[in-house]
Amino acid sequence: MQESEGIDLEAPYTKEQFINAEQEMSMLTSESLKPYKKEYAPAMFGKLSELTKLTLKDVVKWGRSNSLWPLQFGLACCAMELMDFGAARIDAERKGYLMFRGTPRQCDVMIVAGWVTKSVVPRVKRLYEQMSKPSYVIAYGECATSGGPWWESYNIIQGIDQVIPVDIYVAGCPPRPENLFGALMKLQEKIRGKVDRYTSRGLSENLRRIEGKGI
Amino acid sequence: MAIMRINVGPIHPGTHGVLRLVVDVDGDTIKSVEPHIGFLHRGVEKLMETRMYMQNPSYTEKLDYIAPLSWDDLYVNSVEKALGIPVKEAAQYERVILLEFQRIASHLLWLGTMVNDIGQLFTLFMWCFRDRAKILKLLEDVSGSRMFYVNLRLGGFNKNPPDDFVDRCRALADYLQERISEYPDVLDADSVFMERTKNIGILSRNDAISYGVSGPVLRASGVDEDVRISHPYYIYDKLKFRIPVKTNGDAYDRYRVRYEEMLESISIIRQALEMMPQGDTAGMPIRLIGPAAKPDTVVMQEELPRGEGIIYMVPDKQRPYRISLRSPAFINLSVLPKISENMRFADLFSIVGSLDVIFAEIDR
Repeated sequence: MQESEGIDLEAPYTKEQFINAEQEMSMLTSESLKPYKKEYAPAMFGKLSELTKLTLKDVVKWGRSNSLWPLQFGLACCAMELMDFGAARIDAERKGYLMFRGTPRQCDVMIVAGWVTKSVVPRVKRLYEQMSKPSYVIAYGECATSGGPWWESYNIIQGIDQVIPVDIYVAGCPPRPENLFGALMKLQEKIRGKVDRYTSRGLSENLRRIEGKGI
Repeated sequence: MAIMRINVGPIHPGTHGVLRLVVDVDGDTIKSVEPHIGFLHRGVEKLMETRMYMQNPSYTEKLDYIAPLSWDDLYVNSVEKALGIPVKEAAQYERVILLEFQRIASHLLWLGTMVNDIGQLFTLFMWCFRDRAKILKLLEDVSGSRMFYVNLRLGGFNKNPPDDFVDRCRALADYLQERISEYPDVLDADSVFMERTKNIGILSRNDAISYGVSGPVLRASGVDEDVRISHPYYIYDKLKFRIPVKTNGDAYDRYRVRYEEMLESISIIRQALEMMPQGDTAGMPIRLIGPAAKPDTVVMQEELPRGEGIIYMVPDKQRPYRISLRSPAFINLSVLPKISENMRFADLFSIVGSLDVIFAEIDR
């Protein structure tokens, strides 16, 4: 069940969206310099008067954002840090992020950790299609974001966003496990609708795809 | 019973990466296994020919992301051999210490994930990662990066080690000695672990030699071969250490060999810390390398955590003209169809796990 303001894969790309991107970027940077105003997430069991204000939509968002089940799926180097994410030092279980599942049908977050070769692309796409909807994708590390050090290679696609829509990009080679914490918290904000600006961004606004350099 | 064909992977939690296995089973018994590889191929050897000499370590260390420093060191050492640059003595000691710490970290990760795959023991996974995190912290403080340390330069390191390097290494070695000796108490008492590794995936001595396997897989089959002894590099000929050898060649012996290697590595680190001289360990800064290399070809071999790694290089002025890598994990994987024949299907993943394969290195 796709949200109405969510990413519409079927919608054709309009050039206006892309022309506005620069303006939008400058707005984004200017707003990021403003002092941060904390917005509290709607509590489920708060005061009764607040509870009545909640619509059903908010309850659904609250539920989704607090039960992220990532897919246990590693491709290359970053999968080592993904293991460290769940191990003794970081222990992601204390935040409830660690319901790693072996089958995509039970999961709603895909963490693409590692470089994606042309022979793995159909498999990753199949896994994404098998996940329960709505599904979210995190591109973890340089290789999944842009191709990384293998950018010139003949067998690598330059970023997983050429194949499936990506919600959060995590920079680093490899990013520290703490960064995955940040990414998942960002994803929670996005699901709750706090970061409105990002929700309309998707596959159609990918620069490289527009230039026709995709696979 | 009719033979059934099962497809495993390429994306599967138990295969330690991106491996596809086509398995023919008769009931629960494996009749044949056919590994399909190449899902991580990105043409490293070709990419390395397009880079300057000291740009390449960031490629070589992604070959083996569990022990990045070992491939990194093998490459830098072969460039030093090609250009005729001597390594500073204090830097040789520091390299040996860091390489042995890296070997322990690699074996710890292997042990944690393999035991986790077999089942039951998530505790040991947590323990192994707890101890591995301490080693990574040391390597991070020495090099500046947590996982991929591009800190080797021609003739030494990018910078001198921190002032308390020797004390910290000694304290860490003591800590690891205490912790690692706790592991067999958990493993040998666990019937699940013993039943799924004892007499599973037996590789005979003759097969091990004829397939050309190396490293702990070879030593578990009763062959006493280690590059650190047979072709010593750096200061390994000055150190006294034992090479653990087992004779059964099953998955349990492969675990024992790796386990005893960790303890031997600790003793190597202690000896090297005793003998380490004071001195500068900083090497040449990264820049264009002017003089042409002397020999026509360079062949360099080192004992990596997974076996014997060899680099064959035809050097040119600024960059390698041709480079070829001998990956130990690729050759160790080639015995999989042989040793998993007539085994139970459920034991397939303890066999794959015990070989300690890594697919970035196999596919290259």
